[in-house]
Amino acid sequence: MTRCGKQATRGPAPPAFLVLPLMLGACEGRQSALMPGGQDASQLFLIFMVMLGGAVVLWVALNGMFYYFTQVNRRHFALRHGNRIIIGAGVILPTVVVGALLAWGLSIMPSQRARGDGLVIRVNAEEWWWRVEYWPPGAEAPIASANEIRFPAGSRTELQLTASTYIHSLWIPSLGGKMDMIPGRQTVLTLHPDLEGFYRGQCAEFCGASHALMAFEAVVMAPSAFDTWLASQATPAAEPVTQDQMQGKSIFRREGCGACHTIRGTEFTGAVGPDLTHLASRASLAAGIMEVERDDLMTWIAHTREIKPQVAMPAYDWLSPEELAALAAYLESLE
Amino acid sequence: MSRLRTVIVTIAALGAMAGVVGLAVVFLGLFNTSAQKGHWPITSWVLHTTFRNAVELRAPPPSEVPHDLEDAALIKLGARHYDSACRMCHASPGEVATATIAAMVPRPPQVERAVAPWRPEELHWIVEQGVKMSGMPAWPDPHRGDEVWSVVAFLSAVQRGLTDEGYDRLTAAESQGYCAGCHGPQGTSRAPRLDILGPEYIALALAAYRSGERPSGIMSHALSQVDPASDAELAQRLATLPGPGRAPLPPPPAAAEALARGGTSRIPACLACHGPENSNPLIPRLVGQSPEYLQQQLILWRAGQRGGGERAVLMHSAAQGLTDPQIEALAAYFASRDAFPEERP
Repeated sequence: MTRCGKQATRGPAPPAFLVLPLMLGACEGRQSALMPGGQDASQLFLIFMVMLGGAVVLWVALNGMFYYFTQVNRRHFALRHGNRIIIGAGVILPTVVVGALLAWGLSIMPSQRARGDGLVIRVNAEEWWWRVEYWPPGAEAPIASANEIRFPAGSRTELQLTASTYIHSLWIPSLGGKMDMIPGRQTVLTLHPDLEGFYRGQCAEFCGASHALMAFEAVVMAPSAFDTWLASQATPAAEPVTQDQMQGKSIFRREGCGACHTIRGTEFTGAVGPDLTHLASRASLAAGIMEVERDDLMTWIAHTREIKPQVAMPAYDWLSPEELAALAAYLESLE
Repeated sequence: MSRLRTVIVTIAALGAMAGVVGLAVVFLGLFNTSAQKGHWPITSWVLHTTFRNAVELRAPPPSEVPHDLEDAALIKLGARHYDSACRMCHASPGEVATATIAAMVPRPPQVERAVAPWRPEELHWIVEQGVKMSGMPAWPDPHRGDEVWSVVAFLSAVQRGLTDEGYDRLTAAESQGYCAGCHGPQGTSRAPRLDILGPEYIALALAAYRSGERPSGIMSHALSQVDPASDAELAQRLATLPGPGRAPLPPPPAAAEALARGGTSRIPACLACHGPENSNPLIPRLVGQSPEYLQQQLILWRAGQRGGGERAVLMHSAAQGLTDPQIEALAAYFASRDAFPEERP
């Protein structure tokens, strides 16, 4: 089983302040607000950099004054001068700076909430995975997927967010800000990704036992590639070809997997768990924590609740390794 | 001060003497446990009064009495269980227990006299809990109070004047054996029909009843009369036992069919496992099953009170989100379609 994320290296514990620079390592990569991949994240990044720069200037100025008045120029000030400094630097300056930042921040909000260019993606947060539906302009029925959100680069996509039971929050740091997902109401987040690539999203609101294991892949594609991909997602599932795959499908049927999972083009029409029609085309399994490959599939099916506490899917630990392998072979063929 | 000390020392000495006497009674066999004479009248009075008040204090509220206590199928199930488990002590209406039972202390009251003073909820408490120091056992499974109502239904029928002929009709021996008494053509719809289940599933159920994975006072009593070695052969035989016939049921609401076929985002689709396309022999067929039985089992699944085989975990998850009306609708749906020959709607 492979998990996304960095493994801590073993060794004697260094003093804490020496570890701090290592944490900067988290600032690069596919889940970082400091590596913006779209308009929204770029705006947030700019705010962050301006504030960081401003903070450095203020810090230097404050400590400079402190040094100046305690070490360099220690003569007694007239009350008038002292008051000027306190009122100027302690009242007027913060008011102007914070006021300006507020005005700037508020002026950015409308563009963060701009209407989408047409494509709507509905995401419903479940325990602990993401139900995803693509609604291209004019669509009457959605194209269902799960645990992966794909965007066409260069246009603004509207995400309509809901949740089943608990409050969650959707956050793709490289693409924009986070937005809460609240049972019983819909929130909207629009994102304008520009840079093609694979990013990682994560639930950003503590939501229960498996909150830390509720991630997903965000993929930004060239618009034409996205259209091709979406068209292929709308097609029914591939029929099993090999002996293994056919046996896997019959185990899928025999164990009643279709009670919860839909595989379009078959009699499996359950709506409890993720749609598996094109499972093998997705970059992750079990909401961003495993890969769609033989060993991970087998491990997941037989040990769901050990891997992901309190997940709805029961562990099918009575299946033999051969049966699990056949089942995995069938699922791997669902491209 | 010295007076207080005298009092304390006297009490301590008396206590020590009482302890010695008590130990002597236990270890030297001084108390005569012979049942020939029975209790002193005062002892009997104390025991019985205590019992009566304990029942009154602890019986469930009348609101918990099921509304279908006069249902013939429920009475029949209770009567069959009574006949096999209780009759030896309490006899049947119009019958007198054996001389051996009559020599018990306290003597088990004959059924008509036994049930006369009690309300249904009190009967339920007595049958479920048993009576300490009297020979009256508790229900074999402590978590199946729902089953006890069948016996209460029967006992209420006795209160209403069930005759010995009526009793004999309810409990007549079945030509196809003991199990057929409830599961056979003359059985009760409160017991599942078995001819729609395969021998593999019946064997699984028998094993689950024996291990306690599937708790049931009625079935554990019934199975304690069967040699475990013959379970496999029994399962084969039961799989062909036709169930009780019944009048055709009205078609269920369309919503029930949609729920069974497609499920919801919270409820798995029943037919994925229990439909015609699934041939897994360890999953029971439900089409044509008795609605009362289906409803009771779904309630048990939802409460996590039922097990049986490795796949029980699937039903625990599946039934968790069901509401009472959904359970009723699903039971009606599966019961309303005829199981043979094709299982198809």
